[in-house]
Amino acid sequence: MIEVRGAAKRYGGVVALADCSMAIERPGIYGLIGPNGAGKTTLFDVITGATLPDAGRVRIEGRDVTGIAPHRLAALGVARSFQECRVFPQFTCLENLGFSLQMHRVGKTLRREQALRMLRLVNLESYADEPAASLSFGQRRLLEIVGTFIVQPRFLLLDEPASGVNPMLLETLTGFLRAMYQQRPGVFLIVEHNMQFIMELAQELIVMHQGAVLDRGAPEAIQASPRVIEAYLG
Amino acid sequence: MKLAAVAAVIAFLYALPAVASGQPYVLHIIALSCLYAIPAIGLNVMLGYTGLVSLGHMAFAGIGAYTAAVLMVDAKLSFWLALPIATITAGAAGFAVGSICLRFRTHYFMIVTLAFGLLLHQVMNNWDEVTRGAAGFPGIPRPAPLAIGDWSHSFGPLAGFYRLALTGLLAAFALQWAIVRSDFGKVLVAIRQDEKLAGFKGANTMLYKTTVFALGSAIAGFGGVLFVSFLRAASPDAFSLAESINMVLIVIIGGAGYLAGPLIGALVYIAVPEYLRAANELRLVLFGVLLVLITLFAPQGLAGLLQSGWKRVRR
Amino acid sequence: MPEGFLEQVINGLMMGSVYMLVALGMVLIYGVMHVLNFAHGVLFTVGAYVCHLLLTRVTGSYALAVVLSMGVLAVLGIALEHAVFRPLRGNLRSQVIASLGLILAIENTVVWIWGPNALQMRIPATQSIVALGELHFNLHLLVVIGVTFAVVAMLFLFLKTTKLGTAIRATSQSAEAALVVGIPVESVHRFTFALSTALAALGGALLGPLFLVFPTMGDEPLVKGLAAIILGGMGSVPGAVIGALVIGVAEALSTLYFPTDYRDSVAFMVIVLVLIARPQGLFGVRMRGED
Repeated sequence: MIEVRGAAKRYGGVVALADCSMAIERPGIYGLIGPNGAGKTTLFDVITGATLPDAGRVRIEGRDVTGIAPHRLAALGVARSFQECRVFPQFTCLENLGFSLQMHRVGKTLRREQALRMLRLVNLESYADEPAASLSFGQRRLLEIVGTFIVQPRFLLLDEPASGVNPMLLETLTGFLRAMYQQRPGVFLIVEHNMQFIMELAQELIVMHQGAVLDRGAPEAIQASPRVIEAYLG
Repeated sequence: MKLAAVAAVIAFLYALPAVASGQPYVLHIIALSCLYAIPAIGLNVMLGYTGLVSLGHMAFAGIGAYTAAVLMVDAKLSFWLALPIATITAGAAGFAVGSICLRFRTHYFMIVTLAFGLLLHQVMNNWDEVTRGAAGFPGIPRPAPLAIGDWSHSFGPLAGFYRLALTGLLAAFALQWAIVRSDFGKVLVAIRQDEKLAGFKGANTMLYKTTVFALGSAIAGFGGVLFVSFLRAASPDAFSLAESINMVLIVIIGGAGYLAGPLIGALVYIAVPEYLRAANELRLVLFGVLLVLITLFAPQGLAGLLQSGWKRVRR
Repeated sequence: MPEGFLEQVINGLMMGSVYMLVALGMVLIYGVMHVLNFAHGVLFTVGAYVCHLLLTRVTGSYALAVVLSMGVLAVLGIALEHAVFRPLRGNLRSQVIASLGLILAIENTVVWIWGPNALQMRIPATQSIVALGELHFNLHLLVVIGVTFAVVAMLFLFLKTTKLGTAIRATSQSAEAALVVGIPVESVHRFTFALSTALAALGGALLGPLFLVFPTMGDEPLVKGLAAIILGGMGSVPGAVIGALVIGVAEALSTLYFPTDYRDSVAFMVIVLVLIARPQGLFGVRMRGED
């Protein structure tokens, strides 16, 4: 469903991706992990068209989407969150979610209702008419992620959703992600550093190291894999 | 409640010539403010709502103005035909220039709009056969009188054109309102906040930006036609870099991203100094300082200040 | 070679030198603070007026007046950096708009104080005509070229060899890295601004005696300076130098083939063409994370 073949990317003297190949063939919750500088965010950027790779192709459901403009990807059912958490700061929570719905051609009358429903799921209902900038970081993170789900994406790419989120909100987040997956299984690809969070959530882990995929498998197997342990410690 | 008050003000403004017939000066000031507010509305949609800092906006007012001048004087077309043609021409020019400039990020965008504005100004100044050059284009007519049955309205006298200027402003304002309230407007405001994110959410940002640039330029062109018909002449200096900067000033001081911003800005820019009888330079010094102060301490501009002040009063 | 070719090349080098001073000032500020100071043109103008004032009221020595006016403008630059640009740091749109306000305020203050008419700045020492082969030039023209090149050479040395110069270069590459290494970034900003405005003042003071001193004299050098840094590449100091000279010479040579009315269009077209064909300019330094 998602296939990356031979992706390479350098920034100046730094090699971010080196002959990186990865294929995800069926729906599931996949964790993308690896030590710092392994190239996880760059891989995301390449898949979502934020960056043009120096070499390699990206295919989504058989279609070559390498370097495609990000807005065209949204039409293909790809949604993404960002490491630094991006929401529209001056829009209210409702307006933020309403915007995503608007982009997916949901009519004005339905938007408010659907948006409120989503906010309720993560206990942000009381902030419906507050500008996103007035929320705490963790709340904004929830808003951001809810905003990716509300368009019912087939491919969801989350970049470090747990970073900066306090443990209580983290539980809400985990519950939400699981519930969303059950409701509508798709390819969830989640970059994470928070091991506890991702071990609990992911069905399969993909490990990156030095710009390429090192190993993949069920969480328990990866935990025990000597190559992975070495990559983290070495 | 608010709507009724606004309607009353508008009605009063239309009736003003009958009330203030002995004070043509007042009518002149209001008419001029309307004519400055129209391009300001075009810039407000681009700069205030979408965040595009164009430093060549008045060049498009000039395109509208000179196109209409040539159509009316050389091709002998009526004002009512020249007006839409010139407006569309300005809009088309905006679309063309925008497709080039808008590919660039903020800094480069500003510089390219500056460069285009200067280029267009050079053309106005030097293409003597068409624009009559630096001396200006004289003899631009007022619109021919309108007659429906017994009623007729002439635009020669100040009061007559004054009402046309008001109507033009209302039309531009209505367009701004429609844009801002629509889904299209929502995307513009999203682009202003975070263009990259808007793209990831599915907005073809380049298309939106180009469209709004064309719309803003068309509105500016519309204002330009009215302006030179009012003055009965066109001059390149009315559409220079300095005037483009003044337009940015009007939008920012008035309140960028507020519907009433351009109106307040134009009124302050035109009307206030007239009453202070200040020397022209001093007015501009004060405005320059005001612009810096507003940018530092009150970026929401006068419209924004009024709005929060009004909210406080109502509590 | 068409008639007057060499003469125009020299004229072009002279104007290019003046543009260079403005361009350098802008590229230094841009490199360190990531902001385009559009008000640089009016600071150029003020430099000329201050020099004129000092020359007529304070000292008879042109050289001293030039140096003092550079000092005055440096102080003005620090004041502006502190009052306007520092508080708006990070907000690009606001900084540009604020600089537009400064243009209006400063240019019209000049008109208000000195009136709209041009002033003459007579420097008897540089009035004489110099012969270079068959061509004759006003000595002042050659002085402009000479002084500018000397100053630019000193600037390069300063940036390459001194501690402060290296700090400036480091900060323009990466503000975070500079902080980590312990460079006082705030002071670097302040100094860079002062240096830039001093260069602008020098430009105005040098140009004044040649073409009179008038309130809008800085407008053209501003645009030509912008064109120069776009041609040279936004973050590049050598680019600014080369870009400015190329524009100056190209402009001058264009008068041999096209009506002089269109001379200014050369710079505008350079801007548009470079940005379309090769946005990073000749020596462009692409800065990451810029929006």
